[in-house]
Amino acid sequence: MKAQICQLEGQAKVDLAGVNTPASLEAFRIAYLGKKGKLQELFKQLGTVPPEQRKDVGAGLNHLKDWLEQSIAEMKAKLSQAGDTEEIFDETLPGIAPSVGSIHLLQQTNKEISDLFRRMGFEVVEGPEIETEVHNFTALNIPLNHPSRDAFDTFYTTKGQLLRSQTSTVQIRMMERQKPPLRLIAPGRVYRPDTVDASHSFMFHQIEGLMVDEKVTFSDLKGVLHLFLRELFGKNTKIRFRPHFFPFTEPSVEVDIQWGKGWLEILGAGSVDPNVFEAVGYDKTKVKGFAFGLGVERIAMLRHGINDIRYFYENDLRFLRQFT
Amino acid sequence: MKISTNWLKDFVELAPPVSRTADRLTMAGLEVKKCEILDHLKDTLFEIEITSNRPDWLSHLGVAREIAAVENLSFKVPKLDAETGRKPPHGWDIKIKDKDGCPYYTGVLIEGITEAKTPDFIIQRLLACGIRSINLLVDITNYVLLEYGQPLHAFDADLLKGSEIQVRKAKAGEKIVTINEDVLELKADDLVIADRERAVALAGVMGGKDSEISERTRNVFLESAFFDPARVRKTARTHQLSSDSSYRFERRVDPEGVDLGRKRAVALIEKYAKPRHISAVVKAGEKPQLDVKTIHLRSDEVRETLGCEIKPNQIVSCLTRLGLEVKQHAEGSWKVNIPSFRADLTRPVDLIEEIARIYGYENIPETLPERAPIVLGENPRLALEWDLRELLSGLGLHEAVTFSLISDEGLDPKKDLANAVQIVNPLHFGLHWMRPTLAPGLLSVIRRNINAGAETIPVFEIANIYYTHPSQKHPVEERVCAIALYGKRRQASWLDSAREMSFFDLKGIIEAMIQKAGVKDWRSASCSKSFLKSTTTAELFSGQTRLGFLGEGSPEVLKKWDIKAPVFYAEISIDRLLERAQGIRRFAEWARYPSSERDLSLTVKEDTKFDSLVAEVRSLGEGLIQDIQLFDLYKGKRVPEGYKNIAFRIVYQSPAQTLVSEEVQKIHDNIASTLVEKYRVSFQK
Repeated sequence: MKAQICQLEGQAKVDLAGVNTPASLEAFRIAYLGKKGKLQELFKQLGTVPPEQRKDVGAGLNHLKDWLEQSIAEMKAKLSQAGDTEEIFDETLPGIAPSVGSIHLLQQTNKEISDLFRRMGFEVVEGPEIETEVHNFTALNIPLNHPSRDAFDTFYTTKGQLLRSQTSTVQIRMMERQKPPLRLIAPGRVYRPDTVDASHSFMFHQIEGLMVDEKVTFSDLKGVLHLFLRELFGKNTKIRFRPHFFPFTEPSVEVDIQWGKGWLEILGAGSVDPNVFEAVGYDKTKVKGFAFGLGVERIAMLRHGINDIRYFYENDLRFLRQFT
Repeated sequence: MKISTNWLKDFVELAPPVSRTADRLTMAGLEVKKCEILDHLKDTLFEIEITSNRPDWLSHLGVAREIAAVENLSFKVPKLDAETGRKPPHGWDIKIKDKDGCPYYTGVLIEGITEAKTPDFIIQRLLACGIRSINLLVDITNYVLLEYGQPLHAFDADLLKGSEIQVRKAKAGEKIVTINEDVLELKADDLVIADRERAVALAGVMGGKDSEISERTRNVFLESAFFDPARVRKTARTHQLSSDSSYRFERRVDPEGVDLGRKRAVALIEKYAKPRHISAVVKAGEKPQLDVKTIHLRSDEVRETLGCEIKPNQIVSCLTRLGLEVKQHAEGSWKVNIPSFRADLTRPVDLIEEIARIYGYENIPETLPERAPIVLGENPRLALEWDLRELLSGLGLHEAVTFSLISDEGLDPKKDLANAVQIVNPLHFGLHWMRPTLAPGLLSVIRRNINAGAETIPVFEIANIYYTHPSQKHPVEERVCAIALYGKRRQASWLDSAREMSFFDLKGIIEAMIQKAGVKDWRSASCSKSFLKSTTTAELFSGQTRLGFLGEGSPEVLKKWDIKAPVFYAEISIDRLLERAQGIRRFAEWARYPSSERDLSLTVKEDTKFDSLVAEVRSLGEGLIQDIQLFDLYKGKRVPEGYKNIAFRIVYQSPAQTLVSEEVQKIHDNIASTLVEKYRVSFQK
């Protein structure tokens, strides 16, 4: 019996040397210490040992059991130290996607433009969308019954107000309220009864800018707009200033940006017409200023290659997600 | 307008290529949209777009004059024969009965026309400009219209009753059949040309059918006049009638052009129609004069407006080239006489724009404004809006932008639209209303995305709602943030199962928004909304201020939108949030002593509000309750019908000391026994 114990110990040492993975260690454990394991076999035979030897043999078996348990524990520690754990980890399983939303591209564009002008010292202000004839037309030097009004078809309310057809109304309200100097940017919704197609909508977004001070020149307008457009479209942006007509500015200008081989109209601007200063009660001999207005949709369409304005208002998640 | 470059060459030497001339014009503000070569006519066409301030460009002469100015070329003023040696037409007379509507009216009687063939050059030039040849007389009036910008009208003199031409207001009930066969019922404000019996033309807009020129016409009365722009515009708009004539009269024709255009027409008629007799001109009224004939211009104004120095001789050159007469007034100042065709020039700044145009916008330098710093406040509403956008998009919601104009689809006209602002001239599909809620917009977004196959649609929009308020004359615009949730709160994944969106997901988002806005005290109360389910709707208040509402879309409304699963909708006023928001946040020290937690599980009547239990518990907490967390809510078999079981954890903490267990237990026991008494609850510890 003693010899069997010795033999088992020897074999165990050999087998243990061959253990190199958690799995083989487990197999080793089951083979020696399992309920039907080799050690258990010897314990079962203890009954056949003569009584005077039992104590001795029993101590030997227990000693072997202790040794096996200790060896297994050590080997387990050794194997896990080597970096192998029992659990196999698959880092390539897909992550659990958090829900990610988006800010509407028009609002992103709005913010970006507003921020560029804020950096140049312009304050962001807002005004009402439901307006009066005075703010939308008269004060802006657009007389009733004049062809210059044709460009500004308008929605009217049953109470005789109108939906502003341009954000220039805000410059009138601000000038009525505040004395110069003024530097402001007014973003917002505007409305024109245009038939909806790929490039027209009866509601769209504009940003109006205004600077009023004692000395503000047309060359300042050029400088500020060129700086702005380079910041928005890139350093090498080529632009041109083309004379135009707006009732509320004189001289007036349309700004084109080079796009591929041609030029694209990007915004309208000009020096504030003295009649506008007069309408808001400024001394037109003492102040000068410039104003500009741009369409947010148009700029977003150009920058992002969007070919139909209707995408902005459909709010298809397949559109919105692209601008997360 | 279409401009033939061959025609232009009558008045100015165009240096080839004409495409370069087109670019120069565009850069001077006369935009050439298209430059088209017409092979069959050996001509090149400019498609020009004319701003409403420059009616003088509505003719070949006007465009030629601009080219001469821009390119510094000489402008060949056409010579016209003097109208001398002709006799007045016997018995013919003109009476202007409305001098405001027609300050100046002239006419010529042409008798015994013998030729009717339009010469080729007229046919070709008209064709190039998109006008078909009709008959010689009409072709000549069209030719002069395009050449001089002066609209003329030729009446068949034999079809006029009597020989007195009247310019008068239309009579009540008067009718006219126009040459395009519209039957118009005239308004008292309409200005007409009339013979002895009836109106024969709508002044400046269109002639009448029964005095129209035809192949058989032998005797012609040719009209050339100046009609008041606003009156012509009004009549044209009233009758929704627009013509090449009204387009020009509305913008103001050159008063001198009345005579020049007539002379040119008469010369062409004499040459090609070979009439037997041409009368002397019959006239009535006076040519209107410019309000401002002379403008005083100083060079310092030019400098201060444009921001650069333009030499005096350049200033003079720019203006002179445009046909203005410039006289030196003093050192650095001029008197500038304005020609009759430039009524748009009334102030020095108008001249400065002309100088800038001709000098070239591209030659004006770019500068940055001299400016002292000013205090730039951040717009608090826009700042909060942006914070909310970032919060909500971070929470997985997509921002939508929908139209402010809506139809009444899915809304209760009495409840929802009673104070709404109505539009009188909607364009589309009954979009009559300025929306008093953003719900229809977001419901359409959900419907659209469901149709596109989306399963989960969490969206928000920040925009105005509009309504009238008895205390205010002008409608109110209130900025709100609306949220609509549809579908799953969590998508099923290999780790988690899916969970549907619930009212409390929406409420959680609203709580986060309110916290973000810095509003501290707020509460919810039940309310009703026409488009929300009455059992699942709540209003939010802070103090007495109503912040907004949230709830579940009513099944009837969702059905109208063809949405088959629940939608949770909230609308929170950004304006009201701002009113209640604390400004700069104050730091609050937190308690540093350990806290102890005790749980409480109560069975209470189903209609007991959680908020009231919390308030009760807090009031009994001797100021030591730091938090109360709901962790279970149960309704079902284990509790009697009409009851629910609520389990929550109370966190006790003192800012001043470590609480001993006995002390906490004493408070906790007191809370439990008080609740038992007050709410007749049973409870388990």
